[in-house]
Amino acid sequence: MVETTLKIKNKSGLHLRPAAEFVKKANEFQANITLERGGKVVNGKSIIHVQALGVRQGMTINLRAVGVDAEDAVAALSELVNNKFGEE
Amino acid sequence: MVGVVIVSHSLKAAEGIKEIAQQMGRDVPVAAVGGTADGQIGTDPLAIKEAIEGVMGSDGVLLLVDLGSAVLNTQLAVEMLEDEGQDQVVLSNAPILEGAVVAVVESAMGHNLEQVKKAAEEAIHMEKLL
Repeated sequence: MVETTLKIKNKSGLHLRPAAEFVKKANEFQANITLERGGKVVNGKSIIHVQALGVRQGMTINLRAVGVDAEDAVAALSELVNNKFGEE
Repeated sequence: MVGVVIVSHSLKAAEGIKEIAQQMGRDVPVAAVGGTADGQIGTDPLAIKEAIEGVMGSDGVLLLVDLGSAVLNTQLAVEMLEDEGQDQVVLSNAPILEGAVVAVVESAMGHNLEQVKKAAEEAIHMEKLL
């Protein structure tokens, strides 16, 4: 398992569009990907789950990936989050 | 990419849902259709048929409807399509707004019609408050 903690820096948090960007990127990988916030764990490949997590600016989330390309998945998704999804 | 048609009793509602859903993937063909031929609240099978044809590509079209007669008139619209078109069009049981959002994300990822339909229908069980 590959795991990292990410701080959400973009203004609007994981609202619809960033959540969609996250899910699209997550689906490029074979690995099983989950997000956790405050003890709630959701499937990182499902838009329904990711947007329901209610992640706002300043919150931290745990990103976990299990599978052959887990390391690449965590790296790519971390980059997306840390680059604020191309937003402010 | 799978196309998406949003059928509501109100054109404004359909267009609003389209606006939200397209935030999730700009390239996905989405059509909004609603209201009767004389602009009242309701649905019009001919307008729905034209909306389907407008987004029809080789990957097919998922149809999302609001309530009651929208279902019946959408089924009628599908029957009005050419035979080969009918096989590529699927009516979804998904909630119209949540389903549209999911469908556009799934379509943008290149998933097929069956996968897009299945994911959109999972929105029925969506918990808004985790």
